[in-house]
Amino acid sequence: MNFDLHRVYAVARKEVMHILRDPFTLALALGLPVMLVAFFGYAMDFEVRDIKLAVSDRDNGPAARRLKEIFTASGYFRLVEPGPVGPVEMLDSNRVSAALFIAPDFSKKIKGGGFAEAQFVLDGSDNSKAAAIIGYLPGIQRAAQLRLAGRAHGNQSSSGADPEPSKLSLSAADPDPVELLLSEADRDPAKLLSSGADRVSVETRLLYNPELNSRWFIVPGLAAIIIGLLAILLTALTVAREWENGSMELLLSTPVRPLEIIAGKLAPYGALVLAGVCFVYLVSRLVFGVPFAGSHLLYLAACLLFVTAALSQGLLISVLTRQQQVAMQFSMISGLLPSMLLSGFIFPVESMPGFFQYLTMLLPPRWFMAAARGITLKGADLGELAVPFLALGFLSAVMLALAIKNFKTDLE
Amino acid sequence: MNPTLKAFIRKELTQTLRDVRMRALLFGAPVIQMTVFGLALSTEIKNIKLAVFSRPGDAMFGRVTEGFYASGWFTRAAHAPGEDPFELIASGRADAALISPAEGLVRSAERGNGKMQLLVDASNATKARAVEAYAKSIVADASEREYGARVLPALKFDVRVLYNPAMESSVFLVPGVMGMLVCLITIILTAMSLTREREMGTFETIVSAPLSNTEVLLGKTIPYLILGLADAALVVLAGYLIFGVPVRGPLWQLALASLAFVVNTVSIGTFISTVSKNQQQAMLGGFMFLFPAILMSGVMYPVENMPKAVIAAAYMDPLMYFVRLLRNIMLKGGDVHVFWTNLGALVLMAFFAAGLAYNRFRQTLN
Repeated sequence: MNFDLHRVYAVARKEVMHILRDPFTLALALGLPVMLVAFFGYAMDFEVRDIKLAVSDRDNGPAARRLKEIFTASGYFRLVEPGPVGPVEMLDSNRVSAALFIAPDFSKKIKGGGFAEAQFVLDGSDNSKAAAIIGYLPGIQRAAQLRLAGRAHGNQSSSGADPEPSKLSLSAADPDPVELLLSEADRDPAKLLSSGADRVSVETRLLYNPELNSRWFIVPGLAAIIIGLLAILLTALTVAREWENGSMELLLSTPVRPLEIIAGKLAPYGALVLAGVCFVYLVSRLVFGVPFAGSHLLYLAACLLFVTAALSQGLLISVLTRQQQVAMQFSMISGLLPSMLLSGFIFPVESMPGFFQYLTMLLPPRWFMAAARGITLKGADLGELAVPFLALGFLSAVMLALAIKNFKTDLE
Repeated sequence: MNPTLKAFIRKELTQTLRDVRMRALLFGAPVIQMTVFGLALSTEIKNIKLAVFSRPGDAMFGRVTEGFYASGWFTRAAHAPGEDPFELIASGRADAALISPAEGLVRSAERGNGKMQLLVDASNATKARAVEAYAKSIVADASEREYGARVLPALKFDVRVLYNPAMESSVFLVPGVMGMLVCLITIILTAMSLTREREMGTFETIVSAPLSNTEVLLGKTIPYLILGLADAALVVLAGYLIFGVPVRGPLWQLALASLAFVVNTVSIGTFISTVSKNQQQAMLGGFMFLFPAILMSGVMYPVENMPKAVIAAAYMDPLMYFVRLLRNIMLKGGDVHVFWTNLGALVLMAFFAAGLAYNRFRQTLN
């Protein structure tokens, strides 16, 4: 089968003219990625701060005061004094995200060196907050223990210490809806309890992003999602449009071969999306100061592979649907949410159950995400990224082959 | 309702649902996606690959590392003896590496300073934060086991997670995913269908029919309203049947919230279609709305965290109110104050969006 670059060029020129005739589309295709990356690179932050914490302090002793100070000093919590309504009602009505209950004998128990327990209740209806809040607690607990230690230590010998653990509970005046709701959910407290000595400790060294700057890992991921989606959408629609208008038959009746049509149609959009990649790169380097540890050439190769995969996905969708509305619906459903939720952008792939880890292997953004983060932050070389590169190449080849096969069968 | 309008609506519904692929996308895809997301996504970080670098004969260090693997968060990362831990993390074969002190953990701990080093791959900041927190609590436990608790006050938090006591990710995610799916489907349907009619020239035929402007607009939007509500009901039902996600609040609240939200999205879809000349523009317009709307809805990360200027934008996002309403009604049992304030905001926005869409629509007709 002969493949004539001249004919490819002719189809591509026709497509370029079509794009240029519609400046709105051109501007959006080029501007949208930059705008979205700039806006959300600035706006997004997974570190939960400023959590509103209602405190019901029935103790009002020195230890309770110090415990509250620790919560404020952590920088994560903002204390809210409960008004006429109780903390649980405030949780119900979204006015606070967590509540701390300190029983009347809290300070006395701490002073006596006994076992004091404070109840911490949090809003489990908000997935983006609950896990983060639970993650902060062990640190707060340790800080509080060390802080309370000084005072309790000196007094321990004088007051007859009560070695028996005594549980703190809400006072009887409280209708106690918490106990009712949650008695079933005895979470393992051992995980959260760490009151040990510091003879053995661990010193953490964070590689590649020592200050845990969220931008550094959000911006490359965000760019991958936006660029991938745009590539899928643009190609899916352009080929579906030709079928819908009936102009595809016209094109096919000319001497241009199907492969040439495909190449010619994809090339301009590939170029458009790669231009978007360059803009996004500039924004992430200049505006957000995202470091670039690896090789630019390798990054470009990864982008090229990823864009090819996305274009092939778009082509496959358009060949299968042949109608712009269905193509758009299909692209969005197969592109938007999976690439945001299953690519490892927010939820790490390794935390998923086994079967779903394999399922995500079908998604090009998952591989590009690994490659992009590896190159930009870790400075990985081709040897270390062989798997993502091969996977992207393989997925592109399979989708392209499927699209071409379906494209051809229609001709007969 | 007059019979012409009724016939018009029936025609629109038939036209949309005639296509098998469209039916699959409208009713099959949301259920599949919700199931996948509900099963796959977890807010807990797990399966962290930990490599251990110890000195020979360091029994205590061995016990500490067993504590790591027994916690269930870490898995073993194999490595050749004498390999560089930095190299191991750089290549992605380990997410973290625990290194014993040069003289062995026992010896250095006897001198009161048993410091191990933990190298963490922080290229994913969220994951690194979790690894650090896990490691601290595991090592503190180990230290207590080895040397007994120091005379620190035994303070403990009794943690209760309200509304989702077992921390089921499906319960967490279903309200959010439901909001996103309904938003996605209704916006695309409405934006594309009107533009297609115009692009194909069939719109003129409709306009020349004996229908008023309002009737044309209603006839083009009510079908999508119905489809959007059907999808909302389907996703709630699937969430309940597959994952046992409860609907603790009254159903009428859920229905009212969905209606107000779908009116919003259908109006916005109509507006997008009136300003686009062809389906490609409608697609880009839809993308321009959907992407920010989903990211600012509070499903991916908390809205209150964002910079002040951006929060203002989030308050214009109907999806944010809808997700709040869904969480409140489904998981919290529908607090009256939260329900009415968020519903009020949605209704207000619906009036605004519908008015805008109607105005633009009339202009394009003339």
